[in-house]
Amino acid sequence: MSSEVKEFKIKWGMVIDLDKCTGCGACMVACQAENNVAPAVDGSNKLRSLNWLKVFRLSNHKPFPDHETVYLPRPCMQCGKPSCVAVCPVIATDKREEGGIVSQIPPRCIGCRYCMASCPYHARYFNWYDPKWPGDLAQALSPDVSTRMRGVVEKCSFCHHRFMSAQAKARANGQDPMNLPDGAYVTACTEACPNGAITFGDLNNPAHKVHELIKSPYAFRLLERLGTDPQVYYLSKREWVRREGDNYLENEKTGEAVIK
Amino acid sequence: MDRRGFLKFAAGGTVGLVASPIIWNTLYDAVYWTQNWGWIPRLKKGASEYLPTVSKLCPSGTGFLVRTVAGTPVRTLSDRNNPVSHGSMTALAAAEAELRVSPARLKKPLRRSPDGAYVAISWAEAEKLLKEHMQAAGSSVAAFSGDPTTSINEVLSAMLYQRGSADFYLMPDEEQPAAAAWTAMGGQGRLGYDIEHSDCVLAVGAPILESWGVVAANRSVFNRTHPAGGTPAQTFVYASPVQNNTAAGADLWLPIKPGTEMALLLGIAHLLIKAGKSGFAAGLPNFAGFAAAYTPEKVTAITGVPADRLEAAVKALTGAKKPLVIAGSALGSGGAAGPVMAAIAVNMLLGSVGREGGLVDMPFPSPVVNGAAEYRHLLTRSLVRYTQSVAAGKTSAPKMLIVYAANPVYALPSDAGVRETLKKAGFSVAVASFMSETCEACDLVLPAALGMEAFDDVLTPYGSGLTTYALARPVAKPFAEARSAGELFIALAQEVGVDLGVKDMPELLYKRAYALGAPFRAMLESGTVHTAVEKGPVSPLFYNWEAIKAAASAKAADAPLQIAPVVVLGMGTAQTAIPPFATKVVTEYQLAGKLSVAQMNAATAARLKVKDGDLLKITAANKVETTVRAAVFEGVMTDTVSLTAGLGHTAFDQFSKGKGANVVTLTSISREPGTNLPVWGNADVNAARA
Repeated sequence: MSSEVKEFKIKWGMVIDLDKCTGCGACMVACQAENNVAPAVDGSNKLRSLNWLKVFRLSNHKPFPDHETVYLPRPCMQCGKPSCVAVCPVIATDKREEGGIVSQIPPRCIGCRYCMASCPYHARYFNWYDPKWPGDLAQALSPDVSTRMRGVVEKCSFCHHRFMSAQAKARANGQDPMNLPDGAYVTACTEACPNGAITFGDLNNPAHKVHELIKSPYAFRLLERLGTDPQVYYLSKREWVRREGDNYLENEKTGEAVIK
Repeated sequence: MDRRGFLKFAAGGTVGLVASPIIWNTLYDAVYWTQNWGWIPRLKKGASEYLPTVSKLCPSGTGFLVRTVAGTPVRTLSDRNNPVSHGSMTALAAAEAELRVSPARLKKPLRRSPDGAYVAISWAEAEKLLKEHMQAAGSSVAAFSGDPTTSINEVLSAMLYQRGSADFYLMPDEEQPAAAAWTAMGGQGRLGYDIEHSDCVLAVGAPILESWGVVAANRSVFNRTHPAGGTPAQTFVYASPVQNNTAAGADLWLPIKPGTEMALLLGIAHLLIKAGKSGFAAGLPNFAGFAAAYTPEKVTAITGVPADRLEAAVKALTGAKKPLVIAGSALGSGGAAGPVMAAIAVNMLLGSVGREGGLVDMPFPSPVVNGAAEYRHLLTRSLVRYTQSVAAGKTSAPKMLIVYAANPVYALPSDAGVRETLKKAGFSVAVASFMSETCEACDLVLPAALGMEAFDDVLTPYGSGLTTYALARPVAKPFAEARSAGELFIALAQEVGVDLGVKDMPELLYKRAYALGAPFRAMLESGTVHTAVEKGPVSPLFYNWEAIKAAASAKAADAPLQIAPVVVLGMGTAQTAIPPFATKVVTEYQLAGKLSVAQMNAATAARLKVKDGDLLKITAANKVETTVRAAVFEGVMTDTVSLTAGLGHTAFDQFSKGKGANVVTLTSISREPGTNLPVWGNADVNAARA
């Protein structure tokens, strides 16, 4: 793993309020349609289906009736110190562009899947088979994201094409493409979430809502103590939910022992 | 060649090869040709447009933007300018562009041949058949519609009524029992809910964040009242047997035994009266006397709701300024009127009728087509009563039966008599967009255009507190040979000499908009949505304690195990089945391979002697048997198993067919005491390890 967290002037990030998510799946559908991820005949088989964004169900592990449940959408964490980038032998995945999005270039990928093994969030998926759009389904392909082929890895890109589109629009309007206003660029899942559970923006920009949200005492990141510095934050007022974000000892409290 | 010569040759060859472009060109070609396989689809390029319209597949009529590329829809996106959904959309609506071209989509008119196979025919032949059978049927025609918000219903009902048949029915939904309840309590208009302005919502049985009412609007309210990372402006209490998607958004979950919603509401009424909440209306003393029997101890024993949570729910209601209580069914159809009556009574106690954030008495729309059925009247007519009567031979079968945008064969219990009615009907026609179970039982199947392909409308879905009117605009060409169902029915009516007073769909929609005072031109040209706050006088309600008492006398469940169905809108409706792009929303705790997953808590699993992953054979009271995979999940009421609805299709495409069990087949129809409404949804079952 590269030794330093990569910092950028712009750092696109996501804050997901788990107390607002009801697990409806609109984000998953929108993600799949936006990014031309082929449909799966048996999508309930999570070992065989590709999910750039997957909603997990969490439990407080208490017996009925004290049981509580929470849904956790998991995109790519766009880590500041991405373990996938360090292991890719062909630089098919990299983090070097302003915005801090971890790229994935399928035509460059040789399918070794080291990145999948190294990703602690299981955010990467391998095309074991040719993607299929049966019948006329290919008519509904979005024009923004190329379809991938068998034998390559793919993952969430924070809808990078929308970033490029927002920058192009800003340039055309005579605005600074490196200082987009809040909401000018959002991912498909953010846009589709009917509960407003996902907030997207530049974590470094004080004019963006996410800049404040990540300072919330209820904010946490997944497996934070691994030191991957994810750009995806979660919010929950429930202590048990925050504890699900990492492996805590019984006497540890969340938010402590964070490796800087 | 000596050794030195060989080495020179090898070294020279290596240097030459590396210096030449052969290796690099070969590598480039290998990369290029191994990654440009002809069978990987190419993207379509062209000008993008974002056109506002509404979904006719999502029951809540979600407003969205259809993104078209060179005229072809590729995405449906949330529309922040929509005054109903405010940018919220459902998982089903999000999958609509792909549903438009799904393998289950009907492409051509199909006629069933004598051997049972379907043969493609031309539209001219189909129209000729329709006209001939319609003329031959005379007044012996019936029609079912699965779309309660469309003005096409007026065309169908007017065509039937003018030809002397009153057999036009809407598919059973949430509104029919609610309308019966509202009328029983003295309501004269249409029952509406101002969820937006309430500061405390108690939903009993009604999954308001997943499938009940105007879901997109409900979620928008949830979004706005629950700021990210902030303090909620609305308390949400939810009672259901299963911790489903709606429960995940609730501040307080009341676990409740299936079918005991009424006892819970009467217990709450009793505690509210004790706390001094007693909105006065005729019948209050009698109602209070009746509700007094529902003490917290009794309610806890009947419903299984822990006493402390019952108390917390009452505290939330009494502490709120604008509380609102909503009752409904988990399945979205087959619900009883009793719980809604009890919920109306609780709202009356709280003073939550006719004020901001409470129940709304809305006007019914008036028909704009000559001789069409009044919507108010349609709500009192039960499709199930009709089909059961035809199946039993008490009513003569229609010579012609039209099923529009509905899949009653799949959506209704087997004792509803739908299959028998279709068999007995002289000639059955399905007008649908997808090859459903009902299409497979009809003589003629006609491909209908979707909302984004033809003129249609969405008029105030049930659950709204506002009058809303939106046009479905044709933003794309109809897929294959699909046609506008509205135009088809108008043309048929004209052919058989029915005077509708409208010549085509735009004129019909114009008349509807005009009657509502809606800006038709703006709606047509830019997709504007009309909304109107109703501020008319509230009907003089009364505590119809006798009707409530009769409904409360319904037979309690007596089997050792109950089924609690869970609806997930992302898994489609009976008309759409599972959209291809939503199969991944189906989880491993809903479907395992070809088997449905039955979730139950550890205590129930121990009693049934099953572990996580075991096979479980469920036998319903109607003798239907199904094998499912057991999963332990502590968010389910004891002695209850949760099964996801929307599975077990035998038609449609590979994305839906043969997956799991249809939970509706396990349920049977009974009659609600007092209202005599056909009710279903919960099921007494036995289960044993398979």
